[in-house]
Amino acid sequence: MSPLATEQLEGARERVRVFAQYDHAFEEKCDVVVVGSGPSGSVAAYELAAAGHDVILLEEGPPFTTRDFALDGNLSMTRTMREGGLRMTRGTTMPTMQAVALGGGSLVNSAICVRPPDSVFERWSSRYDLDRTDRANLDPHYDAIAEFLGIEPTPDAVQGKRNLLFREGCDALGIDSEPIARNVRNCRGSGECFTGCRNRAKQSMDVSYVPAVLAAGARVLTSVQVQEIRRSGRRVTGVSGQVVAPFSHGRASGRSHAFRIEAKAVVLAAGCTATPVLLQHSDDLANASGQVGRNLQFHPGVAVAGVFPEAIDSLFGATQGYQSLSFLDEGFKLETLWAPSPLLAIRFPGIGADLQARFAELPQIAIFDAIASANRSLGRVRKRFRSLEPVLEWRLHPDDVQILRRSLHVIAQIFFAAGARKILPGVGGIADVIHSVEDAAILDSSAVKPSGLVMGGNHVFCTTRMHGDPTRGVVDEDGRAHDLENLYIADTGIFPQCPSVNPMFTGMALARRQAQVLSERL
Amino acid sequence: MLTSLLLVVLVAGLAVFVHRRGFAGYAPAPAGLAVLHRGEAAFVQAVAEVLFPAGGAMALSGADAQLAQSVDRHLAALPEAKRFQIRLLFHFVEHVTLFLPEHEPGGRQRFSSLSAAARVSLLERLANHPRSVVRLLFTALRSVFVLAYLGHPENLHALDLAPFEIDPVVSDAEVLFPRVGALPGSIPHGPADRTEPVRTPLDPSGPRHPAYARAGRQERGEA
Repeated sequence: MSPLATEQLEGARERVRVFAQYDHAFEEKCDVVVVGSGPSGSVAAYELAAAGHDVILLEEGPPFTTRDFALDGNLSMTRTMREGGLRMTRGTTMPTMQAVALGGGSLVNSAICVRPPDSVFERWSSRYDLDRTDRANLDPHYDAIAEFLGIEPTPDAVQGKRNLLFREGCDALGIDSEPIARNVRNCRGSGECFTGCRNRAKQSMDVSYVPAVLAAGARVLTSVQVQEIRRSGRRVTGVSGQVVAPFSHGRASGRSHAFRIEAKAVVLAAGCTATPVLLQHSDDLANASGQVGRNLQFHPGVAVAGVFPEAIDSLFGATQGYQSLSFLDEGFKLETLWAPSPLLAIRFPGIGADLQARFAELPQIAIFDAIASANRSLGRVRKRFRSLEPVLEWRLHPDDVQILRRSLHVIAQIFFAAGARKILPGVGGIADVIHSVEDAAILDSSAVKPSGLVMGGNHVFCTTRMHGDPTRGVVDEDGRAHDLENLYIADTGIFPQCPSVNPMFTGMALARRQAQVLSERL
Repeated sequence: MLTSLLLVVLVAGLAVFVHRRGFAGYAPAPAGLAVLHRGEAAFVQAVAEVLFPAGGAMALSGADAQLAQSVDRHLAALPEAKRFQIRLLFHFVEHVTLFLPEHEPGGRQRFSSLSAAARVSLLERLANHPRSVVRLLFTALRSVFVLAYLGHPENLHALDLAPFEIDPVVSDAEVLFPRVGALPGSIPHGPADRTEPVRTPLDPSGPRHPAYARAGRQERGEA
């Protein structure tokens, strides 16, 4: 979508509320209240507002302007992530993040938009009694979103050497690879997706769907934390909560005014870890099946650093520009990766001069990663005592350990095929540095213990899963809670299984479909 | 009665011993710290000296990088529970050698009073500990320091990894939203101020953000 017309913008500005404007408790009424302005919530809000419904979009975080982006990756995380970016799973320990900002994760993700293969939807349909969740049904929604956001493969001009080296390595090994399609227009290759795009090339929700939501007449309230979904019988009547200051991590302050919003329907898009907690906090709402918070799945990811003989201008290039889908059948997807250098370097081995020597190699380093379809590794989300932050319990299944080992080995092979002179596998219990492709075989062996894997899990799924059988799932195929007539869930929690590829695009497509169904029912 | 008195004396003596060995005698903390107290600041400096020694491959040593200030800023920005956990970790490492001393003369002192060699030895013990939970704690500790140290503008500038200089862009978002914490009336832009998208890729060797470039000039002693 092109930038808004002048008159649209002027009217739209009046419909935004930010923290500094709240000076008393308030109540509002609307047709639909959407909780969460991430990709799914923003798409749902837009579809409903564009259809003429009176919509309020709620967001706990603040809007960020380019001048609010912190260049320091550490500071950026403390400002844009829940729990300061230090959230960890229990059981198998793994960091996992959730953004708290207008636009949600889209503000600080790398904008990857991939449609899952047919096999994923076939699995979902056959195992979860779903009739209409397939590519044929969802493709029109993917197409509409792709057009709106300008989703296109990353052009070579902004790949930078570190992304193109991945292609070279794959080509040398006969592995198919492709530029990653992203919701980015006019990328300049600053590699700053994770701290906020200062070029505003990334079409995060705050520069794309949210302005369109406003232009369609909806209201957008930021810095409001929903704490309860209100119900009456088999219907929900709205939400309530309190105002929270930016960067306060949800703590009450002197200006924590209460609010209440009455609505004909509620769409929860607070995220896969927040939505179940909100339901649990609302007297265990929508949980006749007992599935709220259960079935937690991730795409656990592992990354390897490759050191090349010369500097590769690693600062320049799309944050994640290349991928390979060749191993989806084996359970993993390969990608290139970049992040603020200090964040990348926390996994470098060593102490003292050895560690400093590794830092000095950063200009010669590229990072490739794998995300695994860890369908057997399950967990649950539950409410923390006196807090709306979740407790995440999750365990990596031995079969998924095998997938991760294999992916590490493939990444190592790609690095050496691309000309790396050594790799830093980032795996505990084996050599810190591997100098040859022969030595890299250790990565696909039992020498790599589960406790040695250094993983990250930022794709989260299934905690309010969609299932045709009301006793086995939280929502139906339209995203409506089985137990309630007018409560919808539109985030990756409704995925019945992990989608094997980056989930944002599918979350948005499902949200668009749900919003159209809801619009007809209102 | 006598037993009770002896017990009180024993407990008091133990308290004095723990206080003197564990918590007394720290140098004053650098001015302006919001979170770290003097003992924690001394610990940060003691870790920084051995984790990033002078004479290494980097522009700055840990001792010169003023990590107490940057760690303090990081902690101040974190939620209270996370801040508490990190401070607890600092105290654990600072005091663990009082109970599990390093095998050398003077090894039963708090971390910040140990010799550099003993500090390195302890960190290596933690890094290579057979229990994964201890290794994880070490990784967490080291991460706090790496983020602060490598994020220092001089280090990033010297590595040619300082962020690019990018001209300010005004999109719909800059017209719709004020800066974080500000009122809408403070929005400096109107719809007519929106900038055209810049379509040219950045030059990999192009100019870097002025704040980082300044740090580089200071490092080289330039005006």
